[in-house]
Amino acid sequence: MDRAIIVDRLVKNFEVIQKEPGITGAIKSLFSTKKKIIHALRSISFTVQPGELVGFIGPNGAGKTTTLKTLSSLLFPTSGFVSVLDWDPWDRNPEFLKQIALVMGQKNQLWWDLPAIETFELNKAIYEIPTRQYEESLKELVDLLDLGKLLATPVRKLSLGQRMRMELTVALLHRPKVLFLDEPTIGLDLIAQQKIRDFIYEYNKKYGATILLTSHNMNDLTNLARRVIVIDEGLILFDGALEELTEKFAKEKIINVTLANEDGIKKIGEIGKVKKLAFPQVTLSVPRAATAVAAAELLQNFPVSDLTIEEVPIEDIIRKVFRGGLRKR
Amino acid sequence: MKKYLQIFKISFAQEFAYKVNFIMWRVRNVVQILLAYFLWSAVFEDPQITIFGYDQSKILTYIFAVILIRSLVFSARSVDVPQEISEGSFSNYLIRPVEYFRYWFTRDLSSKALNFAFSLLEFAILVIIFKPPLFFQENLLFLTLFLLTILIANYLIFVIRFIVTSITFWVAELGWGGQFLIMVIITEFLSGSIFPLDIFPELWQKVFYLTPFPYLLFFPLQIYLGKIPLNLAMNGILISLFWCLTLSFVLKNVWQKGLKIYEAVGR
Repeated sequence: MDRAIIVDRLVKNFEVIQKEPGITGAIKSLFSTKKKIIHALRSISFTVQPGELVGFIGPNGAGKTTTLKTLSSLLFPTSGFVSVLDWDPWDRNPEFLKQIALVMGQKNQLWWDLPAIETFELNKAIYEIPTRQYEESLKELVDLLDLGKLLATPVRKLSLGQRMRMELTVALLHRPKVLFLDEPTIGLDLIAQQKIRDFIYEYNKKYGATILLTSHNMNDLTNLARRVIVIDEGLILFDGALEELTEKFAKEKIINVTLANEDGIKKIGEIGKVKKLAFPQVTLSVPRAATAVAAAELLQNFPVSDLTIEEVPIEDIIRKVFRGGLRKR
Repeated sequence: MKKYLQIFKISFAQEFAYKVNFIMWRVRNVVQILLAYFLWSAVFEDPQITIFGYDQSKILTYIFAVILIRSLVFSARSVDVPQEISEGSFSNYLIRPVEYFRYWFTRDLSSKALNFAFSLLEFAILVIIFKPPLFFQENLLFLTLFLLTILIANYLIFVIRFIVTSITFWVAELGWGGQFLIMVIITEFLSGSIFPLDIFPELWQKVFYLTPFPYLLFFPLQIYLGKIPLNLAMNGILISLFWCLTLSFVLKNVWQKGLKIYEAVGR
């Protein structure tokens, strides 16, 4: 097996029934239903190698979660080919299901009214985890995620951060080879986010697990994913190393100048777009192709004491991705 | 097998998580029984009267037996499934290596065990208070047949409930309504849990016996009471087995179709 995940020309459409608001709308919908087809995925293809950690980014409704759900056997593809660990997810073979896990930041799979340990025990039975391995995994996860004191607390009384750590634990007890994480840090404070991120990183390293992660959190992506897949309106816009994202999508470069005096400072806007002006520092954004010319002009015509050229920060690009700004180039 | 034992245990623990809820549910059952009890004891005030083949002793046995059989056949946890499908938490068990129907059958069993234990207790208390004349079936053959029909009834109601539940895949908001209409009204009415079916005209009864519903409660109880001759009992068992097969087939197909259009919403 040289590919953990293969997705080839995957298409997924949903039928959505349209309803007008209010009582009249509800009554109307009884007699005539207007259906709308939503194209959640319009032919996407990619492959993932074993042990890779891939980040999916894109605005809400881009198709990220649909992709994860299809890969984890919840959704039946409209067309196209999907294979995970050489299995067709839709067959839901128990051997396949034992090797994957799906964690959703917004939903829980723990039994709400019972302490988390009860769900752990249940999963031990369901996944047929040998007792020794179960105890090892549990101890390891509980230590790593700092959960020792919380195991006997009913899940409904846990905080969101605590619950999320429990969710990860319950999903990882059977040591899945492929892990799908949908917004694992949503709603968590910075420290809790960092704990989750460190843990995901560790898990990936230690067990060589393949991890697909969606997130709106830029830190999740810049800290964890070496490779990102940018997806919007059901299409893949970019698939490659995080650093290349900048090269591909940043139309501009950033020039930082330190000026010796304020001579001609008002004219500096003719060179490029002034992003920040706080004498003696000026930050300009110039078209990528014109960077060299702009730098030369700055050095020639202004009292420059220092000048640096930088790429647009990756965060700015990702922010643009989430605004859906990449397609309208 | 160990899997399902663990599911049984956790499900049992879950039932206890909302104690007040459970007690209220049992109270509702007792009130329902009391209503039926007072109604029928008024009708059969004179112990000599026989109506529709029932005298006072037999009708009261009927009412009291309904307490126990209802808890065995009708109590279930899988009433929650439509909601799970429409809100998406159904996904949790789809992605785990567990057979979905066995999972819910096990949870239903744990619910039945708990409810049966409580209904035995209620039964004992009510018997002490009202001292109804009870009928004990001593014929071993009829007792065996009774047990068999109870097993069939449990299977049938499970399959019927999941066929009704499947509606949720297509019409998410109808899930609960469908449950209520079919499971509560039609099933309870036609199974004889509100009143014995043999108070209906003969033709109606014949039609009822062709549907799966009497086999959920009325038929097993008639066998217990010894009101059905052996050849008709075997006949009924065959019809109910036929329904088991047919409805299993229907469920399997409907369920597969439903899964394909399941949208795993909200997750």
